[in-house]
Amino acid sequence: MADFSYICTRIAKNEIEVVARTGIWTMKEGFLIGGGLIVAGLILELSVGPVMWEAFAWPVNGFVLAGFLTIIAAMFLLRKSVSVFRFIGTYQAAIPTLVYAVVLTIIMGLTRQTPDGRWLNNMLTFWPFVLVYVYMAVILGVVILRRFSKLRYHRSMQDVAFLLNHCGLFLAMTTATLGNADMQRLRMITVVGEPEWRALTQEGTIRVMPLAIELKQFIMETYDDGSPKRYASEIQILTKSGKNIHTTVDVNKPVEVDGWKIYQYGYDTQMGAMSQTSVLELVRDPWLPLVYTGIYMMLGGAVCLFALGRKSMIIDNDDRS
Amino acid sequence: MMMTWEQFIYFAIAAVLLWAVGAWAAWREKTAVAYISTIIGLAVFFSFILMMWISLERPPLRTMGETRLWYSFFLPLAGIIVYSRWKYKWILSFSTMLALVFICVNLFKPEIHSKTLMPALQSPWFAPHVIVYMFAYAVFGVTTLMAIFLFFKKTQTSNIKHQTSLDNLVYVGLAFMTFGMLFGALWAKEAWGHYWSWDPKETWAAITWFAYLIYIHYRQLPKQKPHIALGILLISFVLLQMCWWGINYLPSAQGTSVHTYSGS
Repeated sequence: MADFSYICTRIAKNEIEVVARTGIWTMKEGFLIGGGLIVAGLILELSVGPVMWEAFAWPVNGFVLAGFLTIIAAMFLLRKSVSVFRFIGTYQAAIPTLVYAVVLTIIMGLTRQTPDGRWLNNMLTFWPFVLVYVYMAVILGVVILRRFSKLRYHRSMQDVAFLLNHCGLFLAMTTATLGNADMQRLRMITVVGEPEWRALTQEGTIRVMPLAIELKQFIMETYDDGSPKRYASEIQILTKSGKNIHTTVDVNKPVEVDGWKIYQYGYDTQMGAMSQTSVLELVRDPWLPLVYTGIYMMLGGAVCLFALGRKSMIIDNDDRS
Repeated sequence: MMMTWEQFIYFAIAAVLLWAVGAWAAWREKTAVAYISTIIGLAVFFSFILMMWISLERPPLRTMGETRLWYSFFLPLAGIIVYSRWKYKWILSFSTMLALVFICVNLFKPEIHSKTLMPALQSPWFAPHVIVYMFAYAVFGVTTLMAIFLFFKKTQTSNIKHQTSLDNLVYVGLAFMTFGMLFGALWAKEAWGHYWSWDPKETWAAITWFAYLIYIHYRQLPKQKPHIALGILLISFVLLQMCWWGINYLPSAQGTSVHTYSGS
């Protein structure tokens, strides 16, 4: 009887299923799928060119995310009839994908990355790299749904650890990637005594901002050897929404107004402490709360990893005794 | 009192001797002696770090020499935590030996330490980000020594127990590595405007993180080869070295990483 209940728990915990259900599907198939994605990626790279992330700006990224989640849910629901979908939720699928991700990221780390580069010199737009990471997100999604579905039978701290880590990574990865197109980063060159409404986009075009900034004073302190100790801008911010804020922006201490974060970016280095201009960076990232939710979940997951050790992922094989 | 690298050798010798006594006591199963001696050694070593901190008027975390200082401190600390949790007799010897290596590097190749700390590093995130990473590196250092030891060990009898200890160490190391990486992300948002920019240091941090994840997932497989599991750990540690200091010598990372402060 003890053995029977033990096996039931393990089936509920998805451990015997891994062995029995995947049947003939092993890590070899996992590596084949990854290799297939690389080949598919190379074909895409040759035929349609690099991934155009700019095209994902709202609302496209919203639709893509909804579609992506639907596909993952469908894969999960069809796992009993389609063997590939069943396989996707296993360690045998996850490990080869992680290996491909590591290898591709190592190549990225060894190759000089440039924004206008192609192929290996701009991995973030290189189809094989993108496809492997997307596949990793698919695996994460399916694995998360499987774990949630098991909660009906059995719940434990291990589930909390597992779900925090996997959901956190899934959320942070997908929203950071899809939200990137909506992120705005502009530079504003402010001069003492002149309110400035215009800012430079990363492409170098001028844009009129919903807020104006006037530099009141540029602050600079130096060490004895002349290297900068602190530089900051005392500024007056006027917004279209009618706010009038007097504040100081320091390196490492951005100011937030109407969804815009204002950073100290640079100054006239020729003039040093006497600089009459200050370069500020204005950043807006509407997807940030979602990414941060993912990051905080992963931090919670890391606490669980530390507290539970090896037990945070499985029932020990020797728990049986 | 002004503390400089000249006084380091006295603190280092005292600390290493105390840690060695602790390691010896652990083998002899004199648990109380092991704890007390190791902890006093840690206190001696930390008092040097603290006085350096006060003398430099900034946390000593900027140069490679300074991070090695923390590493040498965290190794025996990680050792004593693991010892208190799982009572491995060998762990304190391992951690002491590793700490000694890093202390020797600092003694024979000291680096000039100036007081300057550029504005980008003046943040409440600076200390936790680096300290947590150094602790993770220390735990993985201990893990790697143990993996090498198991790799070349002939008998397979007690290996399952050791493999479980390795797993526990990897979970602890990975937990701290995750803290370090995510603290770094939260800090980067405040300092540079974005939480993740695929800076070479970040790229290699991601590589290392995924590599240890491979180990953790591999160990869940119903059928495994012990040598593959150990091999993954050894490769992961090589990748970690790349992330820690290797990128400073990497042509592709030259002039592009915002993480290279030591040269300036």
